[in-house]
Amino acid sequence: MDSLLEFIRVDIGNPGLAMLVGNPSFAFIQLMNSVSMGMYLFTIAAGLSLIFGVLKVINFAHGAFYMFGAYIVYSVTQQLELNFWLGVLAAGIGLAALAIVIERGLFQFLYDKEHLMQLLLTFAVVLILGDLAKVIWGTDQYSVSYPDGMDGALNLGVTYYPTYRLFLCIVGPAIAIGLWLFVAKTRWGRMTRAATQDREMLAALGINVPMIYTGVFIAGSALAGIGGALASPFNSPTPGMDATVIVDCFVIVIIGGLGSLWGSFFGALIYGLVYNFGSVIVPNWQDVFAFLLLMAVLLVRPWGLFGRPEAGGH
Amino acid sequence: MKSAHYMAGLAALTLPLLATAAGAADIKVGAIYPITGGGAVYGVPAMEGHRMAIEEVNAAGGINGSMLVSVERDSKLNPAEAAAAAKEMITKDGVNVIIGGLSSAVGLAISEVARQEKVIYIATIPKTIQLTTTKLHDYVFRTASHTDFEGDAMAQIVKQLGAKKVCQIDLDYAYGHDLRAGVLKGLKKHVPDHEIGLQVYAKLGSTDYNVLITQLLGSDCEVVTSSLWGSHFVNFAQQAKPFGFFNQKKYVTGGEIASHEIAGKMGKDYPDNVWSNTYELWYDDFVPMHKTFHEALTKRLGTNETPMWPALAWVGVKFYATAANKAGSIDSDKVAGALKGLSIETPMGKRTINPKDHQADTGQFWGPMVKKDGASYRVMNPVTYIPAKLDGM
Repeated sequence: MDSLLEFIRVDIGNPGLAMLVGNPSFAFIQLMNSVSMGMYLFTIAAGLSLIFGVLKVINFAHGAFYMFGAYIVYSVTQQLELNFWLGVLAAGIGLAALAIVIERGLFQFLYDKEHLMQLLLTFAVVLILGDLAKVIWGTDQYSVSYPDGMDGALNLGVTYYPTYRLFLCIVGPAIAIGLWLFVAKTRWGRMTRAATQDREMLAALGINVPMIYTGVFIAGSALAGIGGALASPFNSPTPGMDATVIVDCFVIVIIGGLGSLWGSFFGALIYGLVYNFGSVIVPNWQDVFAFLLLMAVLLVRPWGLFGRPEAGGH
Repeated sequence: MKSAHYMAGLAALTLPLLATAAGAADIKVGAIYPITGGGAVYGVPAMEGHRMAIEEVNAAGGINGSMLVSVERDSKLNPAEAAAAAKEMITKDGVNVIIGGLSSAVGLAISEVARQEKVIYIATIPKTIQLTTTKLHDYVFRTASHTDFEGDAMAQIVKQLGAKKVCQIDLDYAYGHDLRAGVLKGLKKHVPDHEIGLQVYAKLGSTDYNVLITQLLGSDCEVVTSSLWGSHFVNFAQQAKPFGFFNQKKYVTGGEIASHEIAGKMGKDYPDNVWSNTYELWYDDFVPMHKTFHEALTKRLGTNETPMWPALAWVGVKFYATAANKAGSIDSDKVAGALKGLSIETPMGKRTINPKDHQADTGQFWGPMVKKDGASYRVMNPVTYIPAKLDGM
């Protein structure tokens, strides 16, 4: 009891809250931290959500794809000494290729199986990819440099802010809008949406549903790879880096609504805000607030803020 | 049944390959380091240092004429795994001593088995102060440094930098808490008029430090002390640099961030204004013996830029062999008696084990990490050896 009291007292006495109130540029930086964190997590969560939306598979291996993306950038920039952006491209292409193998070789046999079977298989893939990464890259912690011209900070008037994190704030919305345009405006997008609603009907209409599935899995996995690539300058490629990110992404897609693009987008923003401002105000509870929010969403609106209830959908 | 067979076969395959054939009169020396998983970065090179020392002792005639045989186990950085390995080594393999351990939790777990089984344990890497204070027993000895020595050295650097206002960022587990306490004790002694500003903790395994970085930046501290090691430091530094953190704060850190393992891997990404420590530097011949040690290690590992960890394991084996030779026996009580107050020469200078707390006076090399012409990585310059000395020692 004593230690609990001390814990609470220490936290209330923490200068974070005072800095937030008394220092507008500090508050602004926390806002930017929230947005940039949310936007890089969105890149990864969007892929997870997209795959679930169409394939109805909760892919635990999504975090491992992210990790591979980060390692690929390391290999391209540090070992081959090529440009960072080539590394990002290679991560996207590499993960797309890996996705074809995994979807055609494993996941396609699972679509009619129960969820538990799917979970177990994706979990097996996590373990296999984790060991594969160790075989390829070893167990060292690596460091990836920021791309040229993005290792400093820009003057935003209010304060300086790291250029690379500003870039992340732009990438997220760009990916969101791109995905939305694709899904809403193109024929492929319409077919993808149809596949989320009623795959039997779509097949009956003569559409090649397995190909849509493969395509969506490739796109989702490439997003994870690109997310990992973009994270690599500030998240050192290291074994086990997949474990943290997959939890963050699950929280995001559940808050936003599994299968909803804008759900992932705003879920990620909310997650960033809650994590960063929560950490400033009560430092030792950095994870608590996000999970409290998750619980509240699950209790009040289990299908997520932007999702649709399962029942009545068909 | 089939899978049980398979598992047994797998175990039979992996376990004995570690030990070379042991004759009746051989002395079995147990080594426990993380060989797989995240800790392998440190454990694999440590095990090489262990083997090198065993070979050197054997070449010099062994212990009282008997040859040493290395019995090796993987801790997987897991205390339960390490305790089970220690027990098995003692009861099944009949080892006479256990040397090694990596991470404070693993060290405490092995030490507990050593206490129960009355077998000598020489902790070569674990740093928690508990091992030689509250959890001290007759058979545990430590050749690693500890968090009070490390914290005291950090306080001495704060003094050298002429700083008064100190903030702290530490990892929220045993090592981080113990080192923070060590730094605070040291500051009281070396910088009596210091002021403690913001103190924050990061979770073990944390990947996002932006909130903590911006809070530390918002403070008026001149110096930030830290216990972030390995990839924690890499992530922190990469996230803090664009904020201009290292231009505004001096960063004094434990956790061997000055070792070449970190400096080499980070290359040009290594930040400015970092003062840190390491047990050994391949480019610094502190004593003449280091030159021969480094040459042997270079031959063994196939690289001139050798890691720091082999030296730690090497010292543990040498202490044991010297003590057993001096005692003229491998009886645990007699060897324990010989270890107390024993001095040996090491590639990092002379080491003596304090008879009271079984702790070796293992100091570390400290200094700023600076750029060097023609090198793609940073080096420590100047290198200062800060001896392990506290009041009352």
